[in-house]
Amino acid sequence: MKVRVEDLHFSYGNFSLRVAGQTFAEARVTSIVGPNGAGKSTFLKCLAAVLPASRGSVFVDGKDLAGLSGKSRARLVGYVPQEPAFTFNYSVLDFVLTGRAAFIPVFSSPSRHDVAAAEAALGYVGLADYPARPFFELSSGERRLVLIARTLAQEPDILLLDEPTTFLDPRHEIEILELIRRLAGEMGKTVIVTLHSLDMAVKYSDEMVFMKGGGVVAAGRPGDILSEALLKAVYDIEMSIMNVDGRRLIVR
Amino acid sequence: MSGTRNKRATAAFVLAAVLPIVLLLLSLNIGAYRIPPKAVFTTIVGAVFPGGASGGPSPYADILFRIRLPRLLLALFAGAALAVSGASLQAIFKNPLVFEFSLGISYGAAFGAALSLVFLGRKVPAQAAAFLFAIIAVLAVLFIAGKAASQVVTILLSGVIVSALFQALLSLVEFFANPYALQSLIFWLMGSLAQAEWKDLGLTLPVIGVGVTVLILLRWRMNVLSLGDDEARALGVNINREKIAVIVLAALTTAAATAVTGVISWVGLIVPHLVRMAVGADNRKVIPLSAAYGACLLIVADDIARSVASFEIPIGILTSVVGIPFFIVLLKKSGKIWL
Amino acid sequence: MIPAKSILPFVLPALAAMTIPAAGGQALSPVTIVDSLGREIVVPGRVERIISLEPEVTRIIVALGEGKRLVGIDFFLRHHDRLFPLVFPSSERLPVVSNQGQDLNYEEAIRLRPDILFSSPSEFRMTESIERKMKRPVVALASMGRFRDLLTEIETLGRILGREERAAELVSFFGSRMGSVRGIGPVRAADAGPSVYLSFWGSLLRTPVSYEPVGAAGGNNLASRLLPSYLGTAGATVSLEQILVWDPEVILVQGNYPPAERQVTVEGILGDPRLASVRAVRDGRVHYTFGFWYWWDPALVLVETAYLARLFHPGSFPNFDLTREGDAIFKEFYGVEGLFSALCRVLECHEWNPE
Repeated sequence: MKVRVEDLHFSYGNFSLRVAGQTFAEARVTSIVGPNGAGKSTFLKCLAAVLPASRGSVFVDGKDLAGLSGKSRARLVGYVPQEPAFTFNYSVLDFVLTGRAAFIPVFSSPSRHDVAAAEAALGYVGLADYPARPFFELSSGERRLVLIARTLAQEPDILLLDEPTTFLDPRHEIEILELIRRLAGEMGKTVIVTLHSLDMAVKYSDEMVFMKGGGVVAAGRPGDILSEALLKAVYDIEMSIMNVDGRRLIVR
Repeated sequence: MSGTRNKRATAAFVLAAVLPIVLLLLSLNIGAYRIPPKAVFTTIVGAVFPGGASGGPSPYADILFRIRLPRLLLALFAGAALAVSGASLQAIFKNPLVFEFSLGISYGAAFGAALSLVFLGRKVPAQAAAFLFAIIAVLAVLFIAGKAASQVVTILLSGVIVSALFQALLSLVEFFANPYALQSLIFWLMGSLAQAEWKDLGLTLPVIGVGVTVLILLRWRMNVLSLGDDEARALGVNINREKIAVIVLAALTTAAATAVTGVISWVGLIVPHLVRMAVGADNRKVIPLSAAYGACLLIVADDIARSVASFEIPIGILTSVVGIPFFIVLLKKSGKIWL
Repeated sequence: MIPAKSILPFVLPALAAMTIPAAGGQALSPVTIVDSLGREIVVPGRVERIISLEPEVTRIIVALGEGKRLVGIDFFLRHHDRLFPLVFPSSERLPVVSNQGQDLNYEEAIRLRPDILFSSPSEFRMTESIERKMKRPVVALASMGRFRDLLTEIETLGRILGREERAAELVSFFGSRMGSVRGIGPVRAADAGPSVYLSFWGSLLRTPVSYEPVGAAGGNNLASRLLPSYLGTAGATVSLEQILVWDPEVILVQGNYPPAERQVTVEGILGDPRLASVRAVRDGRVHYTFGFWYWWDPALVLVETAYLARLFHPGSFPNFDLTREGDAIFKEFYGVEGLFSALCRVLECHEWNPE
């Protein structure tokens, strides 16, 4: 489903986020990049309705998100935070099951169908053997995968991931990025990720959005918009774009 | 490891279903008035199926059904109330140190009882006043915590403030109390099931029953509520509203119990921990098992309180004096984190 | 140098005059007494200014006629005792020297310059502490509920105040009245008097382990087999079932506070379904009694014993008028008319009169 942002405003202290208009394509991976403090995470949280926008709207498939109930919204939009907040030492399956909250009435417990959905989500991220393992015993990378699995259990059409690869070693980083690509390609989800690594963003995104100072500087396909001038404008330092084996790398 | 956990969980559930009833039947045999077990059996049968063989002399029926049974039922229900409330609060605040005490309920109830016993005489029964002020205390805590009520530090701080306030007010009442009323008050504060009668339980047991039932129904939801605020919101949950609902439910349930039994502490802290140590943190198990084992704990404690010596040991003292060292030993032995 | 021979005729009579105590006056030589804690204390010959923290002692001092020597009053007698303001109205003008916990207010006490202080034997540390700080003799005195010790206490206070005659009068009056109660009806045979359960201190389940008026009136306190729950006090806590096991013939409820403040009432007990099978409830023999607070008022305990004797052995006391008896006893002790009737109005004891 297509995501369209219209005149989105959000303020927090001295910081102000303003996005006049932006669309995110269906079945594509769009990455949001920019320097620290540019407002990437904030933008993502506003898209997820985790933060309340002071003005403007987010439309998913033509529907205004603000007009939907929490449950309906949760079935459309899934949000994967960078780290889970501290929680109890649930088993991996119990953890993923919480993602089914939008499907389970308040006074009920998960049904067999819910459990199957959770197990399927775990299988998709490659953790099919993990349901009974305690969450605290997992490595960083595994925990991230579990977080993604939980959001998949939500069966959303839109996936928002906040810095999913930070602090991960290269192998796990690639694993997650490959997974993200599959989510867009195989499952047709609209995937929006914030990434700090420009190289990875260039390699794995279909579209990129450059942010700075609370606003969007440029957006489009990497091949179209990427230039040294743009990088200088966004990051305030000189960077070069090099071509190595057909791949573009950014060197500082 | 997971296999043992599952087996343990199943065993725990089976035991939880059976143990409270077994303890109830056994405890009916305990008391200063000696009733032979056979007579207990025939009297109960005679009451359940009237018209059968005569169930023994009348004092037996009076003692079993007027004195022991209400007291034991109160123990079961109060124990379940305290344990379930503690478990629920720990779940939604993700903090093992939170229990009903943290919401100021105990001191609110104590102040209400003091007010009634010292100044209002018999016009207002102590139970009603205790219940009322327990609720006022919780509302005060929520008010002070404000929008941040779902943050554990805020709620704990507010709870400390409100508890301190009611403690001070309680001391003030004690100061102005005449010695006659003071005696009654001190007796009430020590916590006791000794005066349980059907008259008091008519309202209390249903309220506790409803509260415990609803909290058990919310058991899976508490897993969701124990996530971070952002995550829960992203999952479509109105986390503030639902957390406050759980707090209010836990408060009502505990206040109903405390109003009748006086202050019995530590049950809401110890029982959920023991349960989590045995079966893990999934609230689908922790909440109902806490209810069952809280009930068992209190009925056993009450049995001890009334049979160990010729006088009655106040049960609040017993749960503390026995419960805390026991808990420390278990914590040390298990060596693992209790979350 | 005056020759001894010429002085002697003057000195000897003077010496003789000094050793004869003046009528109603002060013994001039120090008196050695033993207090309730077993301490031997030398009390000066002159005690004009008295502070008493033990209400029982205060009451006896007034009964001995020396209430004017009190320079301060304790918290309980001022604020919570119904009887004392009637017995000794001028106590209203006395400053309060203790707080709600009956701890001495030292600054107030020092200001009042007492010659002697009386403390409660249950508070040993307090007694020592007062002695250290006040540098005055401190006498710990109380009967702890025992008649024998009450009479000794009256005698001791008589010696301290130089009112031995008056003390002897009171002791003798007490003995004869008590004897007349015991003389009639079965004398203390364990099976002849009714078994009694006492509900004291605002709770059905708290009972005094020792309550001598019951025994003196020919009854049997069922709780006397128990140990007190807390050392130094008189009370024990029992279970409801224990009361059923004992199956008392009479239940007495502490009633020396106004009806509105009572937590346990006769009606409540009679109507309690859990106690329905108890003999006392079935026979309607559930009554109020005065009880004690900070031990005895010597007049009240006599009245109470007579009242209980009438309750336990109704046939043995025809023509018994509690109010008239009570007023007479109080007049003997305190010299005031109608004291008992006044107390009864406050406590609504007209309801207590057995048929």
